[in-house]
Amino acid sequence: MTAIEIRNLSKSFGAVRAVDDVSFTVEAGTVTGYLGPNGAGKTTTLRSLLGLVTPDAGEALVNGQRYASLDHPLNEVGAVLEATSFHPGRTARDHLRIMTTAAGLPASRPDEALEQVGLADAARKRVGGFSLGMRQRLALAGALLGQPKIFILDEPANGLDPAGIQWLRGFLRHLARDTGAAVLVSSHVLAEVEQTVDNVVIIAKGRLVRQGTLAELTGNGGGAVRVKTKDDFAPALRAAGAEVEEVEPGVLRVKGLDAEEIGRLALDQRVLLTEVIHERSDLQSVFLELTGEGAQA
Amino acid sequence: MTNLIRAELQKLFTTRLWWAMALVMFAFTAFGLAFLIAQAGVAPANGQPGLPALDDPAWLPLALSFSSGANIFTMILGIVLMTSEYRYQTITGTFLTTPKRGRVIAAKLGAGVLVGVFFAVISLLFTGIVAITAVLIGGGSIDLTSGRIPQLTLGVFATLVLYALFGIGLGALVRNQVAALIGGIVWAYVIESILGAFPALQTVGKWLPGGAAQALMNIDFDTGLGQPNLLPAWGGALVLVAYALLFALVANLTTTRRDIT
Ligand SMILES: Nc1ncnc2c1ncn2[C@@H]1O[C@H](COP(=O)(O)OP(=O)(O)OP(=O)(O)O)[C@@H](O)[C@H]1O
Ligand SMILES: [Mg+2]
Repeated sequence: MTAIEIRNLSKSFGAVRAVDDVSFTVEAGTVTGYLGPNGAGKTTTLRSLLGLVTPDAGEALVNGQRYASLDHPLNEVGAVLEATSFHPGRTARDHLRIMTTAAGLPASRPDEALEQVGLADAARKRVGGFSLGMRQRLALAGALLGQPKIFILDEPANGLDPAGIQWLRGFLRHLARDTGAAVLVSSHVLAEVEQTVDNVVIIAKGRLVRQGTLAELTGNGGGAVRVKTKDDFAPALRAAGAEVEEVEPGVLRVKGLDAEEIGRLALDQRVLLTEVIHERSDLQSVFLELTGEGAQA
Repeated sequence: MTNLIRAELQKLFTTRLWWAMALVMFAFTAFGLAFLIAQAGVAPANGQPGLPALDDPAWLPLALSFSSGANIFTMILGIVLMTSEYRYQTITGTFLTTPKRGRVIAAKLGAGVLVGVFFAVISLLFTGIVAITAVLIGGGSIDLTSGRIPQLTLGVFATLVLYALFGIGLGALVRNQVAALIGGIVWAYVIESILGAFPALQTVGKWLPGGAAQALMNIDFDTGLGQPNLLPAWGGALVLVAYALLFALVANLTTTRRDIT
């Protein structure tokens, strides 16, 4: 069964079409990055998925069901929402205990979950004194309480320091690879998810603009290879059928041959190459191109 | 549902508000009792009848009925039970844990009933101990089965429970904590007091929760403003039940379909 399925989802707030006919799925054992600039509709999509927002049209299902019809939601889905809020006067542990009580989970879960996110030391401190990063970890602990197999995380890296982001990446990979969970994680900062996700769904102004595997999206940026050499290599490359452009003195951008073919040719021609780079269009530029941010900037 | 009600009570008892409320309630009750004791049997200069004396059997019911004044505190707790979810946006987590929202509302109302009962017990115990001691010292005798004391006790329970529910309904409707608190206090202290105090206005006031609770307790103590115009006790009870249902309905309607963003 598909872990997360979004089918023709639409939602407007007044005149704003926050989500417009969006469809995608997330399978077990994979991490999907849900990317888009500010106001793209990411949060609205995730909140629809979690039964907090009622869609105008379409469906958002977890394990084939609407979230609101789940009998034990915490055992199926773990969610971290943007700006997850806590009562400042309550301790981290009490916050989790309340969820545990309401969901009828074992009383040992709060401490275990706090341990898992590295908050055990702050368990009995009031949340009011927590840093943003600690709050994110506490929110994540809440998502882990019921040991679910689906995770829906809205900008979970917000407020984490570089070490925290590193930890989060590893943690999300662990959830997907080792526990077989389906992870849907939103972000507007590509670098955060680039090293973690298997699949990418890009949304802009409420509309889905692209989805695919990370490899498909970053792919070969037209298959160009950048070659650095002090020798006159261009004629030989052209003779071999390549398209060559001298981007700056001593740097050639070669299309039509891959790095290995270029290397062989250089060996034949006794040309010294000081650098050979497979040019990949990085996700950032794909993203900017697709979401139209680049055009505006 | 038991789990959900327990979770709601945990929400209340894991923050500091509830014992602040309990403390203020004790102070408030102590202050009122001190007044009732000091003024017992003292006739005002203008010839109006004053409070009954300590050894008058009418004094104890009067003092006990004062416990119902704690309704303001259960109302505040009811308001906070609902509005703090919106104020701190914990409503998101609450609905993630229990997406069937009607169950959340039902649990809050259930918790409200328990909070009302709890405060009624501690308020009546405190008032009872102080008042009975005062009567005994004042040379009176105690008969807890007479003077409508059982009915009055029931009335205190009903009042405190009802105002907790009223607070929850009001909180669900208004959602802004400060606005709901101000609204609730103005309602209980100003509007209901005015409409409940003067017999001429009691034609309206007797239908309000405060008036209905008064009817249930049937305190026909003469305030010097004329005979009170109240519903019969059973009528008061029915009106209170109707209000409880109304508040539950309001809480449900305003909460179940709203987008949480
Ligand atoms: N409750 C609301 N009322 C009115 N408009 C809303 C509401 N919630 C969202 N919107 C609008 O819907 C659009 C999508 O918002 P959404 O929060 O889903 O975007 P997002 O992709 O999560 O953005 P961000 O990266 O800033 O978190 C925005 O134009 C936003 O202003
Ligand atoms: Mg967002």
